[in-house]
Amino acid sequence: MVKQQYDANLLPDMLPIYYTRHFPQKIFCRWLAYGCSPQPLSNREMSFTLADDVYLRYLSISNQKELQELLQKKCPYKLDIGAVYNTKPSVGRHNAVVLARELVFDIDLTDYDEIRTCCQEAKVCEKCWLFMVIACEIIDKTLREDFGFQCILWVFSGRRGIHCWVSDYEARILDSPGRGAIASYLCLIAGGENQSKKVHLGNENLHTSIRRSLNIIDNYFEQLLQEQDFFATSEGLNAFLKLIPDETLRSQVAKKLEKLPQSSLERWTSFVSTYEAYCRENGNAMRKLKYLTEEIKIQYCYPRLDVNVTTGFNHLLKSPFSIHPKTGKVSIVFKSSNVKNFKLDEVPTINTLLDDMSTDSSVHQNNMKEAVKTFQEVVFLCEKTEAMRKRNNANTSIEF
Amino acid sequence: MNLNIKRRSTKSLTTGSLIETYPHDLQLYKIPPIDNISLQEFESLALERLNLLRCLATATTLKNLRPYSNEWREYIITELRNKGLKYYAKLCDKSACGNTEMDLQARRKDHIAHFILRLAYCRTEELRRWFIARELELFRMRFMTMNTESVDTFFKLNNLCYLNIPDEEKNNIIHYLRESTAYQNVDNMKFYKVKFYEVLDLVKLRKVYLHGGYAYIPHKDFVSVLSAQFRVHLKQSLAVACHHLGEIEQDERLVSLLKSLHQTYTGNDYTNTKAIIPIESLDSLSVKSFPLCMRQLHEQLRMAHHLKHLGRLQYGLFLKGIGVTLEDSLRFWREEFTKIMELDKFEKQYAYNIRYNYGKEGNKKNYSPYSCLKIINSPVGAQDCSGCPYRHCDVSNLKNKLQGYGFDPQTVHDIVDITKKGHFQVACSKYFDAVHNIDLGLGINHPNQYFEESQKYLKGEIKIEPKKENNSIPKESITDIHEMDLDEIVEG
Ligand code: SF4
Ligand SMILES: [Zn+2]
Repeated sequence: MVKQQYDANLLPDMLPIYYTRHFPQKIFCRWLAYGCSPQPLSNREMSFTLADDVYLRYLSISNQKELQELLQKKCPYKLDIGAVYNTKPSVGRHNAVVLARELVFDIDLTDYDEIRTCCQEAKVCEKCWLFMVIACEIIDKTLREDFGFQCILWVFSGRRGIHCWVSDYEARILDSPGRGAIASYLCLIAGGENQSKKVHLGNENLHTSIRRSLNIIDNYFEQLLQEQDFFATSEGLNAFLKLIPDETLRSQVAKKLEKLPQSSLERWTSFVSTYEAYCRENGNAMRKLKYLTEEIKIQYCYPRLDVNVTTGFNHLLKSPFSIHPKTGKVSIVFKSSNVKNFKLDEVPTINTLLDDMSTDSSVHQNNMKEAVKTFQEVVFLCEKTEAMRKRNNANTSIEF
Repeated sequence: MNLNIKRRSTKSLTTGSLIETYPHDLQLYKIPPIDNISLQEFESLALERLNLLRCLATATTLKNLRPYSNEWREYIITELRNKGLKYYAKLCDKSACGNTEMDLQARRKDHIAHFILRLAYCRTEELRRWFIARELELFRMRFMTMNTESVDTFFKLNNLCYLNIPDEEKNNIIHYLRESTAYQNVDNMKFYKVKFYEVLDLVKLRKVYLHGGYAYIPHKDFVSVLSAQFRVHLKQSLAVACHHLGEIEQDERLVSLLKSLHQTYTGNDYTNTKAIIPIESLDSLSVKSFPLCMRQLHEQLRMAHHLKHLGRLQYGLFLKGIGVTLEDSLRFWREEFTKIMELDKFEKQYAYNIRYNYGKEGNKKNYSPYSCLKIINSPVGAQDCSGCPYRHCDVSNLKNKLQGYGFDPQTVHDIVDITKKGHFQVACSKYFDAVHNIDLGLGINHPNQYFEESQKYLKGEIKIEPKKENNSIPKESITDIHEMDLDEIVEG
């Protein structure tokens, strides 16, 4: 048996079958409706990207039957999901008011290009996927523990990133400043291309959430150092040295590291001991450089969010189980607790799903099933919390 | 809002009922006033509060003071005293619950004035945003200076009850509270639990401990909760006010007052100047002492021998303000305009307007030169040269212009950068510094003030160490009018 190559030209033939047989239409509709609160399913905007890059906005459906019809008629290459409006989006268009929208996060590996050494731009491999693992764990924990959100859906973007959809009622109706505040709470890396050091933690106590994130980073830091080998090349080493603001310390470190073998792990250990010794001798530096190692770890590991996606109230985001037209991969849903075991080449693609004979078929079929199941679980949780919220509301309003 | 405007003020409320209405210096402005006030009081209350709010804005944008810092507050309070707004100075200094007649009157004015400004500032999104931002600053500043006792009373009076968390719960999380709260002696503080979205400003800066969707805040941070509520309330009220404007605005005089309030200039109006500036010096003055808006009008006039109506007004009044006499002014415009038109046409169509500016025609009003605020807010057509260049020019045009004047790239970049952020008058002040090669950081709010400051500096009335860097302005353009031979020109 030959491993079938994915061929985008076959999409028009494959998509109708995929949408009918594999796309979890029913559960998808239930997800977007949330028990009709605050508005019916038909007020939710969807958009399609068609074969020739034609972009259809302001679509909407009222039930699964309409979804199936629309999918068959238009055969979209890509599916995006927008906000819930006060009226049917096709009617209201620009005047419609956004009433609700999941709180979303978009993390893309291209934002890691300045630090990842294995791939650049559209490329990804198992090594750089580790960045996504760390990002997912940190964001998931923060959302659950700090903000108390429960209905959190994690989705593979189809190529080189991940999306997170928070569906708790409070998150869905949060306004733009609220979303902005959460995004800033989560952002630790700031500054453009002309700024080397992008993380500044000050010298007071570290916030609980930052400590927790650092603990997560520590679980992966050594592995990342070994795989990415950040400081092996002279370029990488220079970039690293630029992060040390204190000149004396910087030249000390530079001298030490030059003599060492190129392994990043060894170089890092040596840096840490030099830094610690330096701080012991020099109380003043200690105060200024209090969190230098933490700052550097964060710069090399911490999630790099696309803040605009999170802040915007009506940003469109690729739907779960949409096909990535360039890779043929399905945007599968996964569990954050299981993100460590996520394997890029085990992500189902449209052709393996449709071709029972392909080598990867059984693994892919299985993973697709798992993904749908995970999706289902989240949707059930959403419905349950929504029902509870309504009951509580009813109770409190009786009191008055 | 239910304000009856009377020609003359009827009796004011008695002290007794004032105590009930205004028990505390700090108000949430939930209930509109129902006083009878005279149109005159209406107007002066409006202007006084406008002055107050502008004072806050100046402290932040022009003086570059950190909001809510001690210097910021001190600047504002001194400024208020200087402007004769003692009652606001007092309200801002330390909010409390005294009940002298003076306290009560101050609160009444504060109350009414706030509602008048709501009417004036509900008209457009831009005005609303400005107003909300200033009122919020004011509220925060006043809340933050209250002592614990006044805070307690404030909470009681406004029915704000929050329960602090029990000691046991606090002890369980004390470690996290210490880590994540931005204060030192957390152990002695009482903590309260509010939803995270009630204190977004603290969340944003990661200055609060969050758990399970709740923020744990000490008493001090309640200002965040309150200002968030205040903001929401104000935003809604402004939207409602905007809707009902029609009903309120039956009185012609009120309409025009409310409509133009935000453009009212509250400083010196430069209507009467004592200096006399000969028109022969305008070319050189335009380079060294004019703000960019006037320099550009002057250059346009010299180049095209013509200016459109608004430009003539803006520039003509400015010239009057710096001390160009009517006769000179007529001569000046005539010389330019007649290069492209017959003298007859000029006399018929344009001379009238110039005499009008000087109050010699029409209703004989002595018009004041435009302030920055008015210029910045005035509509400008595509071909016009009037307006404020920082506000009305494309960034690329502005850049070219500044480069053309020979400023070094860094200066040009700085000015353009500030302009992009929307701080037009700060950009103007930077331009001032660049032209004079100093680092003064003036607050510019009137083109004529710009001119006077420049003259003062050039005459040596302001002593500042010049910046050490290279001179970016061509030397020959810096000549002082006092070195010129004026004999032949002064007689007009
Ligand atoms: S800020 Fe004022 S003085 Fe400066 S250019 Fe603009 S309008 Fe003229
Ligand atoms: Zn890679």
